[in-house]
Amino acid sequence: MSSVFSTLTESLIRHRGVLGAMVVGLDDGLIVESTLQIGVNGNAFAALTASLYRKARRSAAAAGFGATGFLELTAEQGRVCTAGGQELVLVVVCESRVNVGMLRVELLRAAEQLP
Amino acid sequence: MRFSVVASWVETPLKQFVDDARVEIAVLMHPNGQVLGQYGFARSVDVMTACALASAIHASSSELGRQLEGQPFSTLHYMGRDRQIFLGSIAAPSGALLLLAVFDRESSLGLVQLFLEEFRARVAVSAPPPVLDGPPVMQENFERDLNRNLAQLFGRA
Repeated sequence: MSSVFSTLTESLIRHRGVLGAMVVGLDDGLIVESTLQIGVNGNAFAALTASLYRKARRSAAAAGFGATGFLELTAEQGRVCTAGGQELVLVVVCESRVNVGMLRVELLRAAEQLP
Repeated sequence: MRFSVVASWVETPLKQFVDDARVEIAVLMHPNGQVLGQYGFARSVDVMTACALASAIHASSSELGRQLEGQPFSTLHYMGRDRQIFLGSIAAPSGALLLLAVFDRESSLGLVQLFLEEFRARVAVSAPPPVLDGPPVMQENFERDLNRNLAQLFGRA
């Protein structure tokens, strides 16, 4: 059964190099909706990325920079991109070769639909 | 805040869990309420109370799970306004154990669940094998063992 968020994750997973897209609870770090390729540990990504996003938000607020809109973590062999609302965040796990500019636009647009 | 353990094998897995999951309180115990190790409490009476309550909650929720699904629930989570409680069962070689964790906004249910899995794996490796010819747990021994464990935790053994 598809939820109201499945269209968001399904549109993001269509991008070349995207391995997984999830809607995650910001406070509890649990997956609300996900579209993942086989082999992606969604639960671990969701919990850790939600924690990272919460801390990034607090850091930005402490620095007086206002709200956090987009968070990108670049690692040796991939990226994690996150954008969110007050209660939910969109987490995208992707390979290094992904078109980050396009993904960022799509992610921010999709995040506008989150509560 | 310091760690205190009754059995030495508990220290490394429990410390790792506390560091990773960022919980305020963690207590590893037998399902009967006998403590094996703890982080976060400063007084033995608080540990004793927490263990007794966690043991009772586990017994109730296990029975509820049996009634509803034919098997006991393996975890229980309660979300308060500022703090949350998580109670999870751990399969150790010598039998089931319970992990009680209390956390605030520094952590999350997702993180606690994630690192509980790693904790379970570490316990499965480091816990001692079952004692086949060990003495049965008697009422009189239970209270003596409980007091001995608490005294060990708080340096009065």
